[in-house]
Amino acid sequence: MDATAAAVPEAERRRNRASAGLLRRNRHLLLLAPGVIWMVLFLIVPLGMMVYVSFWTQTTFSISSDLTTKSWETFFASETYFAALMRTLRLWLIVLALTFVIGYPTALFIGQYVTNKTTQTVLLVACVIPFWTSFLIRVLAWRPMLGREGAVNIVLEKLGLISQPIEVLLFTELSVIIGMVQIYVVFMVGPIAFMLARIDQSLIEAARDLGASSWTIFRRVIFPLSLPGVIVGAIFVSVMVLGEFATASALSGRKVNLLGNIIVTQVGSLKWAFAAVVGVILTIVMAAVITALLRVVNLRREL
Amino acid sequence: MLELVGLTKRFDGKPAISDVSLTVEGDEYLTLLGPSGSGKSTLLRVIAGLEWPDEGAVLLNGQDITGLPTYRRGLGIVQQNYALFTHLSVFENVAFGLRYREVDPVSDPADIDRRVARILNLVGLDGLEGRMVGQISGGQKQRVSLARTLVTEPKICLLDEPLGALDANLRERMTLELRRIREVLGVTFLHVTGNETEALAMGDRMIVFDEGRALMVDAPDTVFARPATVRVASFLNAYNLLPGSVTGSHFLFGDAAFPVPPEAANGAHYAVRYDTASIAPAHAAPPEGHVAMRATFVASEFMGSRVVYFLRRADGGIFEVDRHLSVADPVDYRTGQDLTLHWPPGNALVFGATGALIWAGADRAATLEGAR
Repeated sequence: MDATAAAVPEAERRRNRASAGLLRRNRHLLLLAPGVIWMVLFLIVPLGMMVYVSFWTQTTFSISSDLTTKSWETFFASETYFAALMRTLRLWLIVLALTFVIGYPTALFIGQYVTNKTTQTVLLVACVIPFWTSFLIRVLAWRPMLGREGAVNIVLEKLGLISQPIEVLLFTELSVIIGMVQIYVVFMVGPIAFMLARIDQSLIEAARDLGASSWTIFRRVIFPLSLPGVIVGAIFVSVMVLGEFATASALSGRKVNLLGNIIVTQVGSLKWAFAAVVGVILTIVMAAVITALLRVVNLRREL
Repeated sequence: MLELVGLTKRFDGKPAISDVSLTVEGDEYLTLLGPSGSGKSTLLRVIAGLEWPDEGAVLLNGQDITGLPTYRRGLGIVQQNYALFTHLSVFENVAFGLRYREVDPVSDPADIDRRVARILNLVGLDGLEGRMVGQISGGQKQRVSLARTLVTEPKICLLDEPLGALDANLRERMTLELRRIREVLGVTFLHVTGNETEALAMGDRMIVFDEGRALMVDAPDTVFARPATVRVASFLNAYNLLPGSVTGSHFLFGDAAFPVPPEAANGAHYAVRYDTASIAPAHAAPPEGHVAMRATFVASEFMGSRVVYFLRRADGGIFEVDRHLSVADPVDYRTGQDLTLHWPPGNALVFGATGALIWAGADRAATLEGAR
């Protein structure tokens, strides 16, 4: 053993040690590599590509890589496309608000009023059960519910509350909102319930002992402590709603066009440059929304 | 000031506290000593209104507050785990009660600033107002928790094992601090603890609590010198309790016999304090007037200023002897070595068959008077 070690020249041994040291020092880069490669290949490159393609020249039947801002001009000049952007933002805000208004009390019930851990889990699973059916079925199931001859109208008529069917229920913006809220509310409930369940009961007792009423305790202790959950939920819902196209096309009867629907139609008719413009705009909107939401609360500190 | 009348609280039919009646005076430091599971935290929670009693009443200055919700009682509770609001700064934590209480909230920011600054100064947290709760040490959290309760000027401050989570060094400093803070504010402290030294050192009076009942309520020196029952004596962790019986004028423990006066005729337990017994070689004659018994050496523990010797009694139980180094140098014994234990009989206690104290040696009464 000693003899072999001595036989290796000093310089080589030093070199070996140096390279081993290099490997050891930079081991964290090795761990980082798969993630970085993945992100570059499937996020950075496609994003760059999308921006690049959005400046390509589009003619009716072909596309060439000559750079032009024509597609961008078309988007902002056209009433239809700009209106779609505004509609997307409006629907997003409404759905976000509704998922919060419906989701928070549900989460509050599960996270704070149900003290048994098993019951909490059962209730959360119950919220997820609709996801056992496919997205398409969940969306299309709203048609027989909301239609002219749908379940809602029949029940209301039988109860004598209305004399003729409510027409606005299906194939309107309202039906799109109903569909989206139903699908995405669970993404709001989950994170909020998680944060609420983590609140130590002794904090609430301490607040009560310091003389605060239930409402003050909610406003000053429970809600602030659950805020990270609200933000995480809002990010989930925002990302999914802003990129939505399926619910809108299934429940609006093609009347409500969101940015996502425009991308689908443009890609369908091989208008790649224009689809890329809408894609870039959608990405910017999402980035802005997420940045703004993250400003509200320091997630790294809270989680 | 605060009066508890026949308080009983059951969890699933099992009583956690049963028929507790106590009086807490104004401007006093009251400690409550009890082992874990004795119901002492439940008692605090019932007083604070965090639990409802099944029977009995809580009276504050003669007024029945049993049915009042916590936030209308005007009592403060400092919880064992501090229960600080992690999303707020030290200042905001302390100001919480002033700002957000239902009854008489303080809305003037200058007034809040002044009161919070005063209490933070009192608990020694000057300059930490802006820190988040996650950025301060355990001892500082303890102080924030105390300040947050005291700033609301509660009529009584209930402390649930306030020193339990602190290390020994900090604990010692905090005991002095707590007494000082209490004296400055003149507010009554009811301090619950499982540590007999803490209970003895801090209280103007102390309550010995077990199985949901108060066993004894008295000044710490009286509790220590004349524990009312054999159970109280065992919680003090200072007495060797020898089971036996009295025949004629002697208490018989195995083949040892200790003289007792006629009033101790029903004695069932003979108690010798750790620090009054001495160890002598096996065949040495005990000093004049001392009683003696045989025991074998098990182990000793060096505690710095004193040494604790553990010996096995004839009945298999352990006999502890506590020797301060200012009294005697430490002695090394062999494990299994036969030794003689001796003590002045005038220092012993005798408990009856029911566990109640029936005789206390005259010497201790004299030393107690002398100490006062």
